[in-house]
Amino acid sequence: MASTDEIIEAYGEWQSRSNANDRLRKMLRGWDRVVIIETTDTRERLTIAVVDQTLSDIVVGAPEVVDLVVTGTSEDFCDMFWGDLNPSEKYISGEIVIHGAQADVMRLDAMSMVAFLDQ
Amino acid sequence: MSSSADSGRPQLRQALGLRTVISTSTGLAFAAIEYLAAAGLVAYVAGDSGWISILVASLLALLAWGFFGELNGMFPTAAAIRLYMQRAMPDSVALTITFTYMATILLVIAADAFIVGTALAHAFGEPAWVSGLWIAGLLGIAVVGNLRGVVVAGRIQDLATVLVIAVTIVVGIVALTTSHRAFVTPWSPLHGHGAMGFVQSVALGVFLFSAFEWVTTSAEEVTRPAHIHRGMFASVLILAVVASVITVGMSHTLDHAQLGSAYPQLYLGRVAFGHVGLLLMTVVTALTALNTFNGGFITASRFIYGTAREGSLPRQLAALNDRAVPWIPVVALGGISLVVSLVVALTHAWQVLVAVGAALEAMIYAVAAYCTLVLRRRLPEHPRPFRVAGVEILAVVGIVVFAVLALSASLSVDNHVNPLPLILIAVGAMASAAYVGAVLPRMRAAEAARRAATPKRRPPRPAAPDSVSDVSPVDPAS
Repeated sequence: MASTDEIIEAYGEWQSRSNANDRLRKMLRGWDRVVIIETTDTRERLTIAVVDQTLSDIVVGAPEVVDLVVTGTSEDFCDMFWGDLNPSEKYISGEIVIHGAQADVMRLDAMSMVAFLDQ
Repeated sequence: MSSSADSGRPQLRQALGLRTVISTSTGLAFAAIEYLAAAGLVAYVAGDSGWISILVASLLALLAWGFFGELNGMFPTAAAIRLYMQRAMPDSVALTITFTYMATILLVIAADAFIVGTALAHAFGEPAWVSGLWIAGLLGIAVVGNLRGVVVAGRIQDLATVLVIAVTIVVGIVALTTSHRAFVTPWSPLHGHGAMGFVQSVALGVFLFSAFEWVTTSAEEVTRPAHIHRGMFASVLILAVVASVITVGMSHTLDHAQLGSAYPQLYLGRVAFGHVGLLLMTVVTALTALNTFNGGFITASRFIYGTAREGSLPRQLAALNDRAVPWIPVVALGGISLVVSLVVALTHAWQVLVAVGAALEAMIYAVAAYCTLVLRRRLPEHPRPFRVAGVEILAVVGIVVFAVLALSASLSVDNHVNPLPLILIAVGAMASAAYVGAVLPRMRAAEAARRAATPKRRPPRPAAPDSVSDVSPVDPAS
């Protein structure tokens, strides 16, 4: 199990890579969304947001209304944010579950792919 | 803010209600090819008895609804088809079937482009070759719209579906009532026809419901999970009514040449309301393409993207444009659909498309029955919010009946024995199997080697201070 601090540290890596990626920022034009990360093992909720093509800092807790809810293990989230795990594989195997509009799910996966282009 | 996952789940800002689920399911199923399939069905049964075939087909569609309802409840995700097939059969078989099934989406897109293009050319009194320009134009708009990330909003989709269904029912009923002729053998489908003809008509009838189950890919965006199986149920009932009305309407009012044309629905509109009716049905036919192109392109291109990301298709197919759209699958779908549409336009072989679609759809229903049965045994404890009663019997019935219908549909075109649909399906299935058996293992091995050679970015976790003493000393020589 990964601690909340480890997830926050991993997200920091993903956030800095994403925000420094011009192509990804272009892809996020007009896509302001609130995404909840929900861990199944540590029973934690964390919130990230995309505002004006920029990934916000991660916040512990969740608002009442969101655009996407992503559920998985803390380890998988850590590996995903570090770019060591392809979230599509986990999604198709049913280990990562997402609730939200299909177009948003697609955009979220695109973010993880483009942030780590060598994946 | 709630910080624990044990507290209530946050609400989704954009979630689909039951109405949109019903309209999506109905809209995806009610493509322009419905009109041609309904007109084709008429050839296999006597007089105005086509409604009996539709009735039997709707009962079979309800059987399929039960299987998809249970499977979707177990795996409420857009990737459900991969999940339940992977668990019910070897992955190589599951992938082969899935790739072959995806051909149905391609066929429906191609068929709709052909039918709408031909209908527009006919309505405007243009020569037949102009339909080729319409087809290319329609597919071009669909491709560009998809590449630009345009998605038809739920409310527009609802409205388009309601209009298509309502106008089609009204036109069918008015055509029937204004003909002032008595029904011909409405209760005797076998009068002057063989039993195999009736089986074939039921296979085409099942095709009229095809794609109602595609709405299961919206399972992640509904306000309540139960909306999916309830919406599919309502959709089957709506489709049963509209399919019965147009089938009987066409058999009762159109002659053989009109039934065999590429736009029987326009003739039906003309019978009901004259030239205005013809134009009305032209608009309705064009509206069906809105749902088909929107749903078809998105479903197929995202499936290809997901499969490529998973590593089961070349990675290039997951390339995204600046609007996060998998552009290679979208362009390829448009290009292949255009070729298929033009071939159909040149050869007038639209009933072959209908037969191939009917056979593939019956095949996937048989597969759904098989998966439901096998997963009851393999995953008995898996949560099932929706369960098919008497699955041990119904699944076996489903497997046998849908397999017979698939075979029947693939061996007959326009009431004549013709193995061409079977040959086309066999070629597609063999190509899929060859890819899955020969190409995919090499691709996966190369991907595994590449990943093994890629260093991990995640820093190793430091050992906890109190656990250091528990670790056995390591011999430096080892």
